[in-house]
Amino acid sequence: MTAADLMARYCDGDAEAFRALYAEVAPRLLGYLIGMARSRPLAEDLVQQTFLKVHRARAAYIRGADPVPWIYAIAHRTFLDELRRGKRAAATPTDDGELPEQTAVLSGESAVVDAERPVVDRERTRAALDALATLPTSQREAVVLTKLDGKSIIEAAEIAGTTPGAMKVRAHRGYLALRKLLGARS
Amino acid sequence: MTEPLDGIDLAPPPPPPLSAALEAELRGLRPAPPRKPWQQLGVVIAASIGWAFALAGLLHVRSDLVDLPRTWLVVYLAAWLIGFVAPLVVLVVPRRGSMMTRWRVAALLGGLAAIGFVVGGLTLARSAPTSTHYGLGYRHLCLPSGLAAALVPVLLAVLALRGAIPQAPRLAAAGLGAAAGCIGGFMLHLHCAVADGVHVGVVHGGVVVIAAGLCALFTPRWLAAR
Repeated sequence: MTAADLMARYCDGDAEAFRALYAEVAPRLLGYLIGMARSRPLAEDLVQQTFLKVHRARAAYIRGADPVPWIYAIAHRTFLDELRRGKRAAATPTDDGELPEQTAVLSGESAVVDAERPVVDRERTRAALDALATLPTSQREAVVLTKLDGKSIIEAAEIAGTTPGAMKVRAHRGYLALRKLLGARS
Repeated sequence: MTEPLDGIDLAPPPPPPLSAALEAELRGLRPAPPRKPWQQLGVVIAASIGWAFALAGLLHVRSDLVDLPRTWLVVYLAAWLIGFVAPLVVLVVPRRGSMMTRWRVAALLGGLAAIGFVVGGLTLARSAPTSTHYGLGYRHLCLPSGLAAALVPVLLAVLALRGAIPQAPRLAAAGLGAAAGCIGGFMLHLHCAVADGVHVGVVHGGVVVIAAGLCALFTPRWLAAR
C-alpha cells in the first residue's frame, strides 16, 4: 500500500493507517533529521512534533497526492523552528539568516553508525557524517536529501522551499566540500 | 577517486514509538475529509466576485460607468480579475499528484500585480465627461472599502489552505493578500468615480499592496502546519 493510500485511509479515520504511514515514513524522516540535527534524541523529538503537525493538518491532504514531500517539508520547517528557538540546539540565526554551525553530536548515539556494522564501515560512515556536520546548513540539507536520502533535485527543492537550480548548486557545492574534507582527512 | 559517500549505507534507523500526545490524538481520531482544490478554488472565486458586486452595489456603482471608454473599462476590469484569479489558482491547486502548493509563483504573481496596478493606475487612468475629478485630498473611503472586499477571499482561502503550506507561509500569504487586494481593486473600479491617476494608482493599487502586507503579517500561522 502506498503512502498516498495510507494517508487517504488515515484521513477517513483509520488509526491503523496512520501507524502504517508512520512505520513507513518515520525511519527515513528520522535519518534525514539525524543528518540535519546531528543528535538522535533531538531528531526523535522532531519526528514526533512533525507527525503531530501532520495529524493536525491532515485535512490539507489531497486524495491521490503523495504526502511524503509535504511531511518532509513540515519536518524541515520544524527543524528550522527548533533551531531558531534555540531551546535545545542553543543556536540562533545570524544577521544574514544563516544558521551557525554546532559541534557535532552524532558520533556514538547515532543509529546510523550502529555497532553491528564492520569496523571499517563504521569508521567511514562516522568520518563522512563528521565531515557533513561541518557543512553550512543549506549545503548539509542538500547533501542529506539528495545523496543520503535518495531524493531527486526537484523533490529536495520542494522540501527545502527553494528552486531546483539553487538545490542543485547547494548539493554540488556541499558534495565538493565533503570530498575535499574527507580527502584531507585520509 | 573514491566518492565521499560511496559505500555509506544509511539504513533507516528504527523510528521512536509514537509519543503519548500522538497516541491520545489517535484514540480520538475522527475523519477529516481531504481537501478538494478545484472545488475550493471555485467557492473562493465565486464568493469573492459575488461579494465584490454586492459591495459595489451597496456603496453605489460609479456614476460615469456608461460614459467611460468601453474597451478600457473592460480590459481594466479583466486585468483586476486576472490579478485575483491567477495567484489563487497556483496557490490553491497544486500540480497533479502533489500536495505542495506553488507558493513561489503565487508570491511572484502577487508582486507583479501590486507593482502593475500602482504603475498602471498612475499611467492609464481614464475619465469621461461625466467623471468627477478629485485629487488625493478628497475624503473618500476607497482604501477601507477595497480592503473590506479583500476580506472574503482571504478568509475563504485561509480556511481552504489551513496547514497546507509548510514552506514560506509568509510569502504565500503575501501572494494571497495581493490576489485578494485585486478583487478590492475590481470592486473599486466599479464603484469609484475618482478618475485622478494618482488616486487610482496609489489608493486603488495601494489596496493590493496593503492587503498583501496585512495578509503576510496576520495569516501565515494558519497556512503553516502547526
